[in-house]
Amino acid sequence: MAPDPRVQQIRDRALADIAAARSTADLEQIRIRVLGRSGELTARLRSLGAIPAAERPQVGQAANRAKAELEEQIQARLQALRVEERSRQREAGRVDLTLPGRVTPAGAVHPITRVQDEIIAIFEGLGFSVAEGPEVESDYYNFAALNFPDDHPARDMQDTFHLSPDTLLRTHTSPVQIRTMKAQPPPVRVICPGKVYRRDADITHSPMFHQVEGLAIDRNISMGDLRGTLDLFAREMFGSRSRIRFRPSFFPFTEPSAEVDVLCFLCGGGGCRVCKQDGWLEILGSGMVHPDVLRNVGYDPEEVMGWAFGMGVERVAMLKYGIDDIRLFFENDLRFLGQFAPLTLPPHPSLSPAGRGTRMRRR
Amino acid sequence: MKISYRWLKEFVETDLGPAEIKERLVHAGIEVASASPVVEGLSGVVVGEIEAIETDLGPTPAGHHNRLCRVALPDRKFSVICGAPNAAPGLRTAFAPPGATLPGGRAITATRIRGVVSEGMLCSEKELGIGEDASGILELPADAPVGADLSTYLGLDDTILEIEITPNRPDALSVVGVARELSALTGAPFRFPQAAVRDGEQAAAALAAVEITDPDLCPRYAARVITGLSVRPSPPWLAQRLRAVGLRPINNLVDVTNYVLWELGHPLHAFDHATLPGGRIVVRRARAGERMTTLDGRERALEPDMLMICDAERAVAVGGVMGGAATEVTPRTTTVLLEAACFTPGSIRRTSRALGLSTDASYRFERGADIEGLRAALDRAAQLMADLGGGTVARGVVDVYPAPRPHSRIALRLERVERLIGACPPRPEAVRILQALGFAVDDSAPALQVVVPSFRRDIAQEADLVEEIIRVWGYERIPLTLGAGAQALVKRPPQLGLAREMSRTLNAAGLSEVITYAFVDPDRLKAMGWAGEQGLIALQNPISRERSVLRPMLAPGLLEVLALNASRQLPDARVFEVGHVFSPQVESDGDRPAHEELWLGIALTGLRQPRAWHAGRERVDIYDVKGAATLVLAAAGISAFDVVAEPAGGLPGYLARACAAALSVGETGVGWFGEVTHETREAFDLPAPVFLAELSLTALCALPAVTPRYQPLPRFPSVQRDLALVVSADVTAGEIEAAIRAMDVPWLARLQVFDVYAGGQVGSGRRSLAWSLTFQAPDRTLTDAEVNDTHARIVKELTERFRGEVRGTT
Repeated sequence: MAPDPRVQQIRDRALADIAAARSTADLEQIRIRVLGRSGELTARLRSLGAIPAAERPQVGQAANRAKAELEEQIQARLQALRVEERSRQREAGRVDLTLPGRVTPAGAVHPITRVQDEIIAIFEGLGFSVAEGPEVESDYYNFAALNFPDDHPARDMQDTFHLSPDTLLRTHTSPVQIRTMKAQPPPVRVICPGKVYRRDADITHSPMFHQVEGLAIDRNISMGDLRGTLDLFAREMFGSRSRIRFRPSFFPFTEPSAEVDVLCFLCGGGGCRVCKQDGWLEILGSGMVHPDVLRNVGYDPEEVMGWAFGMGVERVAMLKYGIDDIRLFFENDLRFLGQFAPLTLPPHPSLSPAGRGTRMRRR
Repeated sequence: MKISYRWLKEFVETDLGPAEIKERLVHAGIEVASASPVVEGLSGVVVGEIEAIETDLGPTPAGHHNRLCRVALPDRKFSVICGAPNAAPGLRTAFAPPGATLPGGRAITATRIRGVVSEGMLCSEKELGIGEDASGILELPADAPVGADLSTYLGLDDTILEIEITPNRPDALSVVGVARELSALTGAPFRFPQAAVRDGEQAAAALAAVEITDPDLCPRYAARVITGLSVRPSPPWLAQRLRAVGLRPINNLVDVTNYVLWELGHPLHAFDHATLPGGRIVVRRARAGERMTTLDGRERALEPDMLMICDAERAVAVGGVMGGAATEVTPRTTTVLLEAACFTPGSIRRTSRALGLSTDASYRFERGADIEGLRAALDRAAQLMADLGGGTVARGVVDVYPAPRPHSRIALRLERVERLIGACPPRPEAVRILQALGFAVDDSAPALQVVVPSFRRDIAQEADLVEEIIRVWGYERIPLTLGAGAQALVKRPPQLGLAREMSRTLNAAGLSEVITYAFVDPDRLKAMGWAGEQGLIALQNPISRERSVLRPMLAPGLLEVLALNASRQLPDARVFEVGHVFSPQVESDGDRPAHEELWLGIALTGLRQPRAWHAGRERVDIYDVKGAATLVLAAAGISAFDVVAEPAGGLPGYLARACAAALSVGETGVGWFGEVTHETREAFDLPAPVFLAELSLTALCALPAVTPRYQPLPRFPSVQRDLALVVSADVTAGEIEAAIRAMDVPWLARLQVFDVYAGGQVGSGRRSLAWSLTFQAPDRTLTDAEVNDTHARIVKELTERFRGEVRGTT
């Protein structure tokens, strides 16, 4: 028996409408029409009093069942429509995901700082402390204590800026070796980054540049340890396939002395433009600390020995980043610096490589 | 220095080619920049003789006459057109017959010129690629073998090694020196050049006398006399050898001195004996005010510490540097006094620098010449001169060597080599290496007793011998080890740590790091209002005036960066630099010759943010630079600092007075910030407003370190009240804030300005500053009444004190 044709009728129509609803707004209207405060079903439930008492429980139950059923259906349909609507919105392109994200671009770390920090980090990992010294130096610390005699052509190896007959701008970071050793007894393991100055200016020489000096002094420390340490450094700095080569050379403050080359990382040793067809790139000078230098700082060369090296940061940076003119480092053109920022600054139009804008990938 | 491969092979018996020799030398510490043929592409050119000139073909465009020459080879005769003015019957010259090629790939064929066939070409030095002379065809001596291959005859089939010798190795600045190295490296036998002199009748002592008055500057002076000479061009092989190593042939006598210099490494000088009264040589310091004219024709003012070679009265040469014009060899010279001397390196270097005169001789003497080897050079040159000049070497040598220098002896412990290097060659190999390099070795004691030859002045102690052994044995044999040294804490200087912390903070805020030169332009400093020249440290030898004083502050470098970028269509810049600034030494600097402080500078100009769809178009202003400075201070752990409008020490002149202030932490001044003056901007050609800050990291580092202290988190809700106060425009936010804080209001947890407004609604000469006040009690929830009461007290205090009014309270 049909419990209540009116409820049945409301229910059937509502179900049909729910199924036909095309939007969440349609659905809301249906809900209000049927289940709202003065909705059809609500009205029917309110009017139960007018129904004969015997039929009342049955009609009431049927109406409540219908109400629960409709609420459930509306809810289900609502979910479906929401998904549909969101997907329609996306289809309609209302959110343009290709617009750039909202960022304040970070500034650039100067490439020299970047490389210098990388070098420092490698040596800190090997147990070296960082030491610094003044840029204005006395002749004693820059030359005499490092075994450069007066009036010796070895001084021509470094064209010096003088401030007075006895003071100068340091030509290398090696005076920090002397200051460090004078200030402490052995053992010593330091790395000394800093600016140095030589009176020289062209595309590979700058009157001001940066060096990192390394110094290790102990009771037993050999040239083999120097070679092993620099080999490790080269692999860390230039990649695990990197190799180094020692060549005899001359520095007044080391004996024996070695020029150190690293296998050209561009051609792998076969010869190319970067290594000038040589297969090797000269990156630093090194050697065993000269006994006279040890004596000059009050160490006994029979007791302790050690090694030192010095490398040009610009040289390493130029090789690493493929920079061909040293002056770029000190011009500070923002388009140059921007290439060393985590998120590059908006490139200058003329420099922007074509087709690098954000593109949407479509399925 | 250029070294001929063939010349080298005269002294070392090796089969190695130039490329292999280059490789060996490089690995022993002698840099070889290049190895290249003397001439490239020359083939088929022979010695030909012009038998006759057959016809004059008329003038050439160059004004000479083209002539048809008959050129004879042993088996054939050729008709060759030649425009050279020196073409003459009987001349032997370079002849390129059809089929020959010249440098640059020029192939010679029979060609027809104005109807006449030329069967080949007669060549100039320049056309052969062996010299610069293009004025005529190459003139060969009358005994040049006709038909011989020119390359072989002149020694053009040779390779030139361009070597670079470190300053410690003057002994390697010669063909023989490199040959000795090569012999030690390869084991190939080494041969020292023969220099047997055929003495003449006449005694040298009767023709020359030498006196050294200053043996401290000239420890040895030896001379020979060669008589009966005639001056003429050097033979082709000699001239060609000199040309190939970059020396210009002059005449047989002068060329011999250069040849022997190159071969043996010892500089020699030939005087025209006739210009030296009595053949007398006095070696002494110059007299005050003395002058002489050097070979290059320049009159030189001499100084009393310069060593001169003199005759009985006047200076005739600058010892070890350059000869004099008055005594040089001329075409009329018949007798030569040949000098081989040794000079003190430091003195030569000072003299050479003082005169601005660097020569092949001074280059070697300032590195240290071989005091014993000079005799071999003297003998070799004297005999060669006699041979080439048709003369006779006078008997004996006038040799003054007052205090013969002893050979040094060094003990070498092979276990020391092992300890220093981590490896060591076997004892016999170590001995062999040292002997091959010219050392005498006594192998009878546990430590090798090594006697250093006179040409190795660089070897003074055991470590020097260690290097000799290892570099010849091979650096590639040094092991790769990581020493097990003592452990120690890794530390970095606090300033460096702080600088990096600040740099990271500023990078994150969008500022880029720059590095500028530490030397700046004093004129620009003046334009920036830098007070006076005192306090500036000037370079004695700057690269230019624009880079002639050490920067006393970072500002000029930063402004240069902005200017450069502005000139390249990059008007928006936000940059910073960390670097040292310099001022004269103060007492606390100790043995540091100048006062150096580490500073951080910030410069902003143009748009605040790069242009973007979501970004505004606001330009930076003073609050951007103050904000950046605040970030820097925060990175140093400093949250409370004072802004001092008129600091006791003043502000730098480049900052606009109305818009600049100093920053201090407690009593310590740590820097300043502000807008750059119009005048300074003009000096740097900067169109837009610029804001700068400079902070002393040295000062910040000296402040006590701040460790954060934990505050318990509030457990009860806070109440917030806003207050917009309209006051006279000259009342500052700082004053209001100070007044509120001075009231010591209970429960005031936070105080912030959140709006600043001046305009129509508040009336002219006044502005509204809106404050947000947060009240909070640690132990309970505040009641409305409590907060309202407190707020009312603050309003009352502020309105009375600043004659302000409240614009509306929420």
